Amino acid sequence: MSNNLDIALKSTMNIEGAFAVALVDYTSGMTLGTLGGGPDFDITVAAAGNTDVVRAKLRTIEMLGLGEPIEDILITLDSQYHLIRPLHSRTGHGLFLYVALAKARANLALARHQLRQIEVSLEL
Amino acid sequence: MTSGFFGGDPDGLPGLPRREGVEPGGAVGQLPPAAFDARPEPYDPVLSPVRAAMADLRLRVPGVRGSVLAGVDGLLITYDLGPEAEPHDLAALAATTFGLGRQVSLVLGQSPFRDATMRNEGGYFTVYAVNSNTLLAVLGGDGLNVARLHLEARPTCNHLAGLLAL
Repeated sequence: MSNNLDIALKSTMNIEGAFAVALVDYTSGMTLGTLGGGPDFDITVAAAGNTDVVRAKLRTIEMLGLGEPIEDILITLDSQYHLIRPLHSRTGHGLFLYVALAKARANLALARHQLRQIEVSLEL
Repeated sequence: MTSGFFGGDPDGLPGLPRREGVEPGGAVGQLPPAAFDARPEPYDPVLSPVRAAMADLRLRVPGVRGSVLAGVDGLLITYDLGPEAEPHDLAALAATTFGLGRQVSLVLGQSPFRDATMRNEGGYFTVYAVNSNTLLAVLGGDGLNVARLHLEARPTCNHLAGLLAL
């Protein structure tokens, strides 16, 4: 299991422009694994904060009565993209994959495509 | 003769066995006896900045129902809590949780105790060490973002330690 998790995190980190990734349990905000980040980008703070983002969006969709799952959430900064992808497999339920990308080096369409494939291959 | 029996060695008479030694890692969890009588009432205005800091934590972290500040002896200092829980009970639970946590930290050589989280089906109960004889116990609902609580509670504990030291 952890082997598979490590591979998924490394694959996510290999996306062009990625500098921090985390697999996060949004029922608690705790991380199952992280890669990258550093003193100027605390990945545990990002995980806990983005848990609130995912929860707020899920609640909004529920209140709107849309009844659809979230495929991904994109947050665009001046110099970064933050991509959040809730997992929908049976074992991944309640988790999301989070990746921060440097805008100058990242290809957004390719990053989303790769993240989708990583989700499919991730069996916890 | 002027040095007398009690002069010289401040640690006691040499050669005598000591049954009550200082715990490894310092006197964690030892409440000075005088502190009991000196303790203000939970609603004392002196403690209003403390209650404000606790309310601030509740407002910053969604899912936090409230918190109590307790001595390691399980006696309540003050609280920021709605009517759903009895603050004196939570203070006692905080000390019980701390007792286990302190024992674990001492036996494993990881002392001092820092925090302990109880995760129940219906919610969370987390105890933080504010200083060596004060605990902050936070009551959280089932939807609490506990990672966020850990991030926010640490600065709050440091702030509370500063307020209590005054």
